[in-house]
Amino acid sequence: MDVDILMRYLPLLIPIALIQFALMVAALLDLRKQPATRGPKWAWVLVIVFINFIGPLLYFVLGREE
Amino acid sequence: MTRFSIEWAAFVTATRKELLQQARTKRLLIVVAVFVLFGLTSPLLAKFTPELLSSIPGAEQFADLIPEPSIADAMTQYIKNLTQFGFILAVLLGMGAVAGEKERGTAAMILSKPLPRWAFLLSKFVAQVAVYVLALGIAALGAYYYTFILFGPVDVGSFVLLNLLLLLWLLTFVAVTLLGSVLGKSTSAAAGIGLGGAVLLLLAGSLPKVGSLAPGGLVTWASQLGAGIDPVDPHGGAVAMALAIILLSLTGALAVFETQEV
Repeated sequence: MDVDILMRYLPLLIPIALIQFALMVAALLDLRKQPATRGPKWAWVLVIVFINFIGPLLYFVLGREE
Repeated sequence: MTRFSIEWAAFVTATRKELLQQARTKRLLIVVAVFVLFGLTSPLLAKFTPELLSSIPGAEQFADLIPEPSIADAMTQYIKNLTQFGFILAVLLGMGAVAGEKERGTAAMILSKPLPRWAFLLSKFVAQVAVYVLALGIAALGAYYYTFILFGPVDVGSFVLLNLLLLLWLLTFVAVTLLGSVLGKSTSAAAGIGLGGAVLLLLAGSLPKVGSLAPGGLVTWASQLGAGIDPVDPHGGAVAMALAIILLSLTGALAVFETQEV
């Protein structure tokens, strides 16, 4: 894709990056508070940080002991 | 105070507690994030799919085959993403509503207080409705704005109606999952029942004659509105049917729950 086009539409991409970042931070903060998770905590940190969007969501839906 | 006003006050308190719970368990965050994400990326993806294709070596010739993307493509993406992921969220996040509390024993604790069972159930439904209304509202605003910037003005009336249809689609599955959550003894059993019921509803869409009454009819109508087809073929029957399914699921859930030992 042209750099020009990318620059022109960059403002539209920023909110999406912010949502991803907010999700990641929320998931990490929540993980720190949890006494126990399904599976090791360090693995969840990797999932949350390295898998965009899906990682934090997976953690919220599957990772926490209810 | 009459008995009704006492029960009503209990319902309001329970709903407030459920709403707090939705926020504290991060369900609110999850639903809003997923919906807004797809609200924003659907028009973007529709707009840039040809560009992306042409930047892949060897795929250039396909880029020319794709017609110039339009508002209709943005709307199609939006409807497809929100119905698919909304459906998954409605079942995944709703399945534990009652079953989870039965499993943990908190239901017995709460119901030993003077909280009528209808208030317990309805508060759970209303809190989920609030979450989906909020999430879909924000997603719709975002999608409208992005589509406007990338493609041009969208007909507001059709877009509002389209979103109301999507909301009704989501709430149908929320209600069915709540029924599953009452019927199931554990969260996983509830998930099975809720998912089974939801899949049956989806399959019902392919039946001859009555198929258009299934919740899929709502999506068909929404897609026509999104594609700007004129005149649209309104699926009023699907709307009536969806409302009936919601009402039946809720009353059915209550009828079972009233006789259940928790």
